[in-house]
Amino acid sequence: MPDSTAPPSRGISLGDLALALGVVALGAFFLVETFMIDVNPGYARVGPRFFPLLVSFGLLGVGVILAIGALRGERAQPAAEEDADPDAPTNWRSIGWLTLGLVAHMLLLNVLGFVLASTVLFWCAARGFHSTWIVRDLVVAVLLSVVVYVLFTHGLGLTLPPGLLKGVL
Amino acid sequence: METLAALLNGFSTALTPENLLFALIGAVLGTAVGVLPGIGPALTVALLLPVTLKLSPVSAFIMFAGIYYGAMFGGSTTSILLKTPGESASIVTAMEGNQMARRGRAPAALATAAIGSFIAGTLGTLALTFAAPAMVSFALQFGPAEYFALTVLAFTAVSALLGSSPLRGLVSLFFGLGLGLVGTDLQTGQARFDLGRPELLDGIDVVTVVVGLFAVGETLYVASKLRGAQDAVMKFKGRVGMTREDWARSWKPWLRGTLLGFPFGALPAGGAEMPTFLSYLLEKRLSKHKDEFGKGAIEGVAGPEAANNAAAAGVLVPLLSLGLPTSATAAILLAAFQQYGLQPGPLLFATNPALVWGLIASLYVGNVMLLVLNLPLAKFWARLLEIPRPLLYGGILVFATLGVYSLNNSVFDLVLLYLIGLVGFAMRRFDFPVAPAIVGMILGPIAEQQFRRALAISQGDYGVFFTRPLSATILIVVGIVLLGPPLLRWWNSRRSGTSRTTS
Repeated sequence: MPDSTAPPSRGISLGDLALALGVVALGAFFLVETFMIDVNPGYARVGPRFFPLLVSFGLLGVGVILAIGALRGERAQPAAEEDADPDAPTNWRSIGWLTLGLVAHMLLLNVLGFVLASTVLFWCAARGFHSTWIVRDLVVAVLLSVVVYVLFTHGLGLTLPPGLLKGVL
Repeated sequence: METLAALLNGFSTALTPENLLFALIGAVLGTAVGVLPGIGPALTVALLLPVTLKLSPVSAFIMFAGIYYGAMFGGSTTSILLKTPGESASIVTAMEGNQMARRGRAPAALATAAIGSFIAGTLGTLALTFAAPAMVSFALQFGPAEYFALTVLAFTAVSALLGSSPLRGLVSLFFGLGLGLVGTDLQTGQARFDLGRPELLDGIDVVTVVVGLFAVGETLYVASKLRGAQDAVMKFKGRVGMTREDWARSWKPWLRGTLLGFPFGALPAGGAEMPTFLSYLLEKRLSKHKDEFGKGAIEGVAGPEAANNAAAAGVLVPLLSLGLPTSATAAILLAAFQQYGLQPGPLLFATNPALVWGLIASLYVGNVMLLVLNLPLAKFWARLLEIPRPLLYGGILVFATLGVYSLNNSVFDLVLLYLIGLVGFAMRRFDFPVAPAIVGMILGPIAEQQFRRALAISQGDYGVFFTRPLSATILIVVGIVLLGPPLLRWWNSRRSGTSRTTS
């Protein structure tokens, strides 16, 4: 991880370059997909391909300019947000915990139901934010999930998967 | 007179016990949203969309309006007590207001922000009351060519003026335009970019994109760069209040801030950042206490806070009268209208006057509520900042996934949500503004439709955009917004370049 408190280095930032190439790739993807759109000839002068073409070329254009900038050593400044320190090195462990929570939630939602899946998500997210209160987090996670489930299904009439707790809540 | 009668009717809608309750819920939620980090008004409205579908549109929009104005009030509390601007429009308040708090003047800073917000919000709403109908009668002459030109103006303005560089704004805009293309072509019914997934035929839901970019993206980013120790919240003693001198130094900045903020908000070039900065510079220039600026001058809080709230009222003028969103929150409000099968624009005033005028009347009501909620309760709101971050962000993620899942009860939407969340994370890490993506996604399909309609009417003659005077004028303004700043920069660098060589 580059240390941004150090004087700006002359090297190329791989992250910036990767992002620029990602934008180019997205543009290319849109371009390919644009030509897959069925067009009924003679239906309209400006058919369903016209705007997609503009957007594809737009993405390709800005992507190439970004890539040129990245190759010349430009690097983006991370955003200053509440609670975030832009100068801190990226903490991949935290991202890992959040990703774990989100993926688990997605896979478990229809199996275990909303309450248990959300408990897992909440607990993993708390880990990602360096919480050391393992039991407190678990209690809050269960309470929140149950209250939300009851409130939204009984109070507002939304349907959420009950999963294992079917018939209990 | 006609406007006054309509407004009175609006009050009869807004002042029913039920709608007063929704205005109060909105104001409380909005203030909390403004205070809490990680959630903004756009995200909150998006999260509430699935929940409110069972409400009548009028009640839902009255609540949304409370959230919208409330977030502006709450944002100043955080900025002053914690020096953490929730959005770019409160940066100035965070600088100057926090300095005041450090010198023990937090009560006065909070008071001048709250009263200034109230005055600017009320005057701004008053201006909206009269500007919107005027704009409507003007907008009724618009054809597709003018509408298309307006959308182009909105695109250039949001991408050129938000964020650190126009290029980064454009990347965000094109990403949003791309997302907006997914689904079925409105004109011909052809499927586009659906990747063979039937879930994508209806397009990607705006709620998914807003929640992904704001909630998931922000949570991932904050986790990746979490500040080690939480900043101490400024403690303050006594009641929120201002001395006679504070009043004397505040009232003119309030009015000047309002005058700056409203028109900036109402222009398609919208946004609240420009007027807050301009107001700060103006007050600094006019002040008799120039030496206090940067160390906590009350004028530097009063003016920008007023400008911020007046701009928020101004943003509603193009939204209600033209259907043109110029900020992320306005864009999600537009999506909310569409969810109810309503299209904001000149016709909405004729077809649904109860809704439009009830909404406008509720803005007056909401402002009074917010003043009452914020002046004596500032201390209470500040306590929200003490919620442990692991619990706060865990809760944000649970609500985000819940809101998106309940759109269609489909796990596919969650996959989309997390993918878009990763994009939101990258956008923060690599300094791309988020708002252009949202505006692009919502306005893109409208732009395409108007463009094709205009060409259908002109029988394929592209000149239609330049031969109609109104459309041509708007496109000239687009050119100025696009080419003005780089030309100025080039000119300045040439001048400084030559002066450097001669010296």
